[in-house]
Formats: sequence, structure tokens, C-alpha cells
Amino acid sequence: LVGLVLSPLPRLRGLLQRCWGQLERGLLPGFSGSQSPPWGPALALQGPAFLPEPVRDSRENNEGPSLLDSIMWMAAPKKRRTIEVNRCRRRNPNKLIKVKTNIDTCPECGNLKQKHVLCGYCYAKVKAETRLIRMEMGKKEGGPFNAPTVETVVLYDGEKPTEKDEGKRIIERARKRPSWFVQN
Amino acid sequence: MRLSVAAAISHGRMYRQLGLGPRSRLDMLRNMVTALVRHERIEAPWARADEMRGYAERLIEYAKLGDTNERAMRMANFWLTEKDLIHKLFKVLAPRFQPYPGSYTRLLQIPNRDSLDRAKMAVIELKGNPYPPLIRPQRNTEKTLLNQLLKGYREDMQRAATP
Repeated sequence: LVGLVLSPLPRLRGLLQRCWGQLERGLLPGFSGSQSPPWGPALALQGPAFLPEPVRDSRENNEGPSLLDSIMWMAAPKKRRTIEVNRCRRRNPNKLIKVKTNIDTCPECGNLKQKHVLCGYCYAKVKAETRLIRMEMGKKEGGPFNAPTVETVVLYDGEKPTEKDEGKRIIERARKRPSWFVQN
Repeated sequence: MRLSVAAAISHGRMYRQLGLGPRSRLDMLRNMVTALVRHERIEAPWARADEMRGYAERLIEYAKLGDTNERAMRMANFWLTEKDLIHKLFKVLAPRFQPYPGSYTRLLQIPNRDSLDRAKMAVIELKGNPYPPLIRPQRNTEKTLLNQLLKGYREDMQRAATP
């Protein structure tokens, strides 16, 4: 099966020979009857250096043995691998999935998180709130490319700007201040 | 004398290969720096965010020289593709970071991207931004009254157990 797939060259040569034969018989009926060609002066073209025809008979004989020969030099297993050998290979520690010891619980929400990565739940919460803050900022700016030239401060329900927030742009959010967003 | 470099060795190379080539890499980093200056907190693949961090911090150091400085203005003009951000850089970010000697950005890893590639993602933000904080600083609860009383009780029990 492998030999059939991996040696397309004899197949290709056979195909080419058949096409060439059809071409000769179809387009040049005069030549097949060994008469003078009905056409007048023809252009001298660069044809193939050697025609495949004289090689045809020898290739036809070699068609069979080349397939068996190609099978002779392919790699194949000599014996069936026993289940013990298979188990040794499949259960070798380098093939097993490593146990992760860097998983912990987030102290804020209690979900699992990796030690060096932010907690997914807490980050999603913060991301949703920043998105709402950015929508408010967009409404205040009005259009694109209107970045302010002063700092920004976010105030929630019932909060007044302090003396630290003197020259800053105020963004109002219409909700209670969340516990995880400490005012500073 | 080494006349050629072996294919897979990259000892001492400081810069990652991103995008379609060196020009594409610089354009991509420039877009990211512009986005960071505009939005002050962005999410990106970790490698790109890490690469961009150095460029962003150097841009802020150039901005600290003041907008009358010709080199600083040319740098800001190149790196910020949206020209209203040049005003923000020199009038908001430079005064904000004037007291600090360095490290104006924070790079934190977030869980892998949800799409098929499961890419390693990071969030990079300028310090002092108005948004909610990404990490809550943990207060040290060792010196609270309750914990000190419990600690005393635990030590008394241990002393009573092993005389």
C-alpha cells in the first residue's frame, strides 16, 4: 500500500505516454498512415529531446518489479509491540500531564486562580466597571479625538469633589460606590 | 571568526520579532502606545504588551523634558498617531509622573484569551489612572486586637500542652 502511494513516477510516465499517443493519432492522422503531411512549411519547434516511445516496452516490463522493489526498502515494524512495552511508553512520566501546584483561591471572591495571574472573576468585574466609566467619558467628550488636557476623577452617588480634585474633569457614575473601588 | 549565525540561536537579542517585519513591528507598537496613552489601561497579548512597555516608559521620560524640547516633540509626534494625545502627554502625564524616577506602567497577566488560540494575555496600565484598581492591596491584619488576642491564646495553649 505504501509502495503504491510513494512511487507515482511510473504512473506519471504511463499517463504521459498515453496522452502523447492520443495526440499523435488525433492531431496528425497523416503521419500514422506514413504519408507525406498535408500541411505546408512548418515552424521548427523545440520538442522534447528524446521521445518516450522507445522506452515504453522496457518500462512496461519494469512496471511490476519496481513496485515490489520499492516495498523492499521501506521501513516496517518487525514484530508486534506487546502491551507491556506499549504501557511503558504510554505511561512514561514525560507523556503524562503535569500536576499544577500554582493554583490557589482568590481571597476576594473565592474562585480559583493561578498564583501569578489575576483572578478572572474580579478582573471581569473591574473590566465591566471601566467600560461603563469609559462610556460616560465618551458622552462627556462628545466626539472622537477630544482627549482632555486635565486629569480625570470618578465620583459615585452622593459624593462631592474634594480639594484634591480641584482642576480635574469629573465623571459621574449613577450608582453606589462599589466596595472594591476605594476613593483616594 | 564567525561569519554566519546558526539558525535557531538568538543569544543576546533584546527585541522580539512581532508582526510581518521590522516596520510592521514598529507600527504595531506605535498603535499600542497611542492606545495606552488614550485609554490608560489596555489588554493585549503578553509579548506585545511587554515589548511596548519599554517604549511607553521612554516616551514618558522624553515628555518629562518638557514640550519646548525639540527632540521630545519629535518623539511624541512620531509615537502618537492621534495628535490630540500629544497635548494629553505633555499636560497630563508628564506632571503626573514628575515626582517618580521610573516604572510608570504596570503589567499584569490575565487568564488566557477565550478564543481558539488561548493566547497569553496581559493588561498594561499607566499608574495613577482614574479607573478601579486591578489588585487590592492586602492590609496586614497581624496587629489587629482580635488577632493579637488569638495569638496569645494559641501560645498559652502550646505552653500548657508541652511543659
